[in-house]
Amino acid sequence: MLAAPIPSNDAERLAALRELLILDTPPEERFDKVARFAAQEFDMPIALVTLIDENRQWFKARVGLDVCETGRDVSFCGHAILQPDIFIIPDARADERFADNPIVTGPPHVIFYAGAPLTMPSGFTIGTLCLIDHQPRELDATEMAILSTLRDLLLEELNNREEARRG
Amino acid sequence: VGEATPKHLNMLLVEEQTLLRRTVSLTARSLGLGTVHEAANMSSAERLLRDHAFHGAVIAIDCGVAERYSYNLALLDQVRAGMSASVPTIPIAVMVDHATPDMLEALRKRQVSRVILKPFRAKVLLDTFATFAVLDSAGAAGRKDRQRTV
Repeated sequence: MLAAPIPSNDAERLAALRELLILDTPPEERFDKVARFAAQEFDMPIALVTLIDENRQWFKARVGLDVCETGRDVSFCGHAILQPDIFIIPDARADERFADNPIVTGPPHVIFYAGAPLTMPSGFTIGTLCLIDHQPRELDATEMAILSTLRDLLLEELNNREEARRG
Repeated sequence: VGEATPKHLNMLLVEEQTLLRRTVSLTARSLGLGTVHEAANMSSAERLLRDHAFHGAVIAIDCGVAERYSYNLALLDQVRAGMSASVPTIPIAVMVDHATPDMLEALRKRQVSRVILKPFRAKVLLDTFATFAVLDSAGAAGRKDRQRTV
């Protein structure tokens, strides 16, 4: 397994995330409804709004998963935040970076993964909107565009939060 | 609503659910399908239909209906009767929770090209708008052919 790489600007990235004052806050309908919509739209058992903290990925919104966080090292989203656009793993069992990852071989059995990076206006990527299935999948061009749109709508909400905080 | 060209279609989406509406409208733009104008209720849809010409429409026919009715075909009638700024024969698809034989008969009479049932997905609506674009191109080609033969 390839542990999620740490970007060279991680300290600044983490500072940008923490400035949002969003980590460990209660669920909010405006984020939950995007996760619910994504799960239904793509017929996925799991849809998450994840934020990548120093040693964990924490879920601001989640559908189909009981835990509120997992380790950063095993996270797919930890890889996705280093990508310029949507990160797709059609079948994790066939990808040497993930095949023996404990969240692939055990619960929640991540086989298909698609993560759209949440890149703030500052340029720092704080997390992802991600979709997970227990079987191999592909996304076509329209589905990729829909996932990008949902990510953009989430970014609008996050920016509103940042502007409100700055008052 | 700007001047329409075969490459830039103006289409109408009447749907109460904001997230679905916004997702379809923004994604249509990013895919280059054209501009999807949004109406969240009957009155704003009526106003848009009166003021602007559209190349096609997807209409949730249970949008804002009175409690004892299950659907409202007033917007379809407005278009088909020529009481809108659009060509009366524009393609129209409808969205509805569930269809009944009476409803389907009423929709057939109004030349509805597609009935979309729940669960409503952005992809299905986008595919529908994409078929409108194809129909519009085919119609434009047919009109050119007819002009050449006259």
